[in-house]
Amino acid sequence: MDEKREDGRAVTQLRPLSCTRNVLNRAHGSASFSQGETRILAAVYGPKAGTKKNENPEKACIEVIWKPKSGQIGKAEKEYEMIVKRTLQNICLLNVHPNTTTSIIIQVVNDDGSLLPCAINAACSALVDAGIPLKYLAVAISCCISEDEDCILDPNKLEEQKMKALVYLVFRNSIMSVLDEESTQVGESIENGIVTSVTHGVMTVNNYFRCLEQGRAAIKPLSDFLRKKLQSKVQSDVSVAG
Amino acid sequence: MAGKISNTPATYTPSPTSQDKKRPSIFTGSDWVRPDGRGLHQCRPAFLRTSAVNSASGSAYAEFGNAKVIVSVFGPRESKKAMMYSDIGRLNCNVSYTSFATPIRGQASDSKDLSSMLHKALEGAIILESFPKTTVDVFALVLESGGSDLPVVISCASLALADAGIMLYDMVASVSMSCLGKNLVIDPVSEEESYQDGGLMITCMPSRNEVTQMTVTGEWSTPKIHEAMQLCLDACSKLGKIMRSCLKETVSATQE
Amino acid sequence: MATTNGSNDLSSEMEVDAFRRLFPLRFHERHLLESIRPDGRPLGRARDTTISLGAVASANGSALAKIGCTTMLAAVKLEVMTPKAESPDEGCIAIDFHMPPICSPLVRPGRPAEAAPVITKQLTDTILSSGMIDLKELSLVSGKAAWMAYLDIYCLDADGALFDAALLSAVAAFSHLQIPVVSLNDDGRIVLISEENSGAMWEKEPVNKEKRKLKLESVPFSLTCLLHKNYILADPSDEEESIMETFLTVVLDSSFQLVSLNKPGGPGLAHTSAIQDCVGINKTESERTSEDIG
Repeated sequence: MDEKREDGRAVTQLRPLSCTRNVLNRAHGSASFSQGETRILAAVYGPKAGTKKNENPEKACIEVIWKPKSGQIGKAEKEYEMIVKRTLQNICLLNVHPNTTTSIIIQVVNDDGSLLPCAINAACSALVDAGIPLKYLAVAISCCISEDEDCILDPNKLEEQKMKALVYLVFRNSIMSVLDEESTQVGESIENGIVTSVTHGVMTVNNYFRCLEQGRAAIKPLSDFLRKKLQSKVQSDVSVAG
Repeated sequence: MAGKISNTPATYTPSPTSQDKKRPSIFTGSDWVRPDGRGLHQCRPAFLRTSAVNSASGSAYAEFGNAKVIVSVFGPRESKKAMMYSDIGRLNCNVSYTSFATPIRGQASDSKDLSSMLHKALEGAIILESFPKTTVDVFALVLESGGSDLPVVISCASLALADAGIMLYDMVASVSMSCLGKNLVIDPVSEEESYQDGGLMITCMPSRNEVTQMTVTGEWSTPKIHEAMQLCLDACSKLGKIMRSCLKETVSATQE
Repeated sequence: MATTNGSNDLSSEMEVDAFRRLFPLRFHERHLLESIRPDGRPLGRARDTTISLGAVASANGSALAKIGCTTMLAAVKLEVMTPKAESPDEGCIAIDFHMPPICSPLVRPGRPAEAAPVITKQLTDTILSSGMIDLKELSLVSGKAAWMAYLDIYCLDADGALFDAALLSAVAAFSHLQIPVVSLNDDGRIVLISEENSGAMWEKEPVNKEKRKLKLESVPFSLTCLLHKNYILADPSDEEESIMETFLTVVLDSSFQLVSLNKPGGPGLAHTSAIQDCVGINKTESERTSEDIG
């Protein structure tokens, strides 16, 4: 059953990940994240003084600007902007810098499927790089239901087009249990909650929950990867300072 | 997967098989029946309702034959930051059309022009001193165009202003008239407007007998203008009464 | 006399309206404790829904849908296009959602609402992927002419659950759609056959004599729920949406297949049980709404 995918991956196997921080000099924080051939560059500027109109000035405001690979932004990009913005609102500590605006610019470098999850992972890494206070990391993944009802993780563009239905999911990262048993119980329920869910195509409700299960299971390696990449920088900073 | 509908191809509206774009001679004759069977000096039946939009401070819906209009009033609220200090209030008007308002999609008239006409028609009737430093926004949406759109928008807007509790010297009623050959027709429909020789619109405050706006376009003789003005003013005062009774109904309904 | 839980003490003395404005979250949470909402609804109940068909005379199909105070006017206009080479037997649907300045105090002319393009995109995705309309039914002459259905939805009054109301009005407008009888003339253009002379003699045989109505299969129904703590509030009003910002929209078709499950971030999380509950509420409310409409 493992030979079902054209690139030879197993059904639940992700494409090779890579994450580089601090790739831009002038931005306050930046990251480049890639899943297989899909690559996103995210830059963070801010927090800058003041919020935009119609935003609550008692909280920090997040602004997301989506730059497609080519051409002008359309309705799809507007939707991505809204989803990324609301997703990041979930993980940011918005009360720390009230009445400020943090801009996140997302540049699509290459789109080979799972674009939105990759963008969310990149934006989250860039926020860490910029030192914006976060409650959690957002970990995003995409999940597909194929014609023969298989649940496939991290599809590339070709697979996305052939699929019956597609689900983008964002979870909070798994918590490292520094605390005792009781609090890990709480931690687990937090980990299970969905931050963002976006679906395309018709599927049965059961298949959606199957995707949810698969996605949840895949979050652990993804979030470990993110944590490792994001920690290494902090340690090297410390060693330079020392 | 959802299909992309970007780069939409060129489209056209299918037209009827027999096309005669010539002006029918019957329009200019004396024994002439209007497209909707009205008498020459008879207005379309008006349906008015206030408080059509819940999220606005005041609003009104007007339906004159096929012409359907909604007007919302917001404020008085904070003026734009860039605005200079002002002792008196500001009025901001905007008229827009839906894309299905006209028989052929997206052929609506210039809304900028209409917006400034609406502004001029209402300005004189509002007691701007009653809300210094702030702005009242009057936004109109023409759901369906059916001729005499601007007069309908103006009358509807005045009703919405009253519904919002904005201080007015008087209600503003507006009626237009078309001159077709020898005939004067009141409250013309789109078809009549497109064949008219001249048009006249009067906006007035009926109980004060004051005109806030009058526009004359096209070809008119002096006696015709006099006759048309008198007819319009009479119609305005009748419309004013209908608007007044509409407001009274809403108030008595809320008191019960 | 400031105390640590000042607002709780104040609430007994303050007028209700003032309390609602100053402490909106507490005001709503107090209601939630009693399992009721400020407008008198139980938590899982949607507002009353009305639909009136044929509201716009100049369109081929139209409908006015109201969910509580939220009002949507949808109209379909048919125009003729040359089908794309890769799909010669298919028509096309172009959907646009508008928020004119009349609908909400937050929208100003010249500065379109941010929500409008997002809802347009979601409506397009939902309607096209639900398979409600077979695009082949919009074909006129294979490879030469097909209908382009322009669906324009105007929000006349924005009071929460905009997507639900917009989808409802869109479905109703398509159900009301009357396809005009047309024929192909010698120049290869499509012309209308007017009703009056249809009995007498046709210059050309009509190309779509039978196809006067669209067959709508698996009609999607959308319900937005607010998630706040452990409460689930179905069909939120604008006030509720602005105070409790986590929402989840479930779209099911008539055979209860999932067309869309949209939860775009927000401060709260959606747990599996909450999602199951939202799916359940969608099922009961879609039945209630179809009874409402009759």
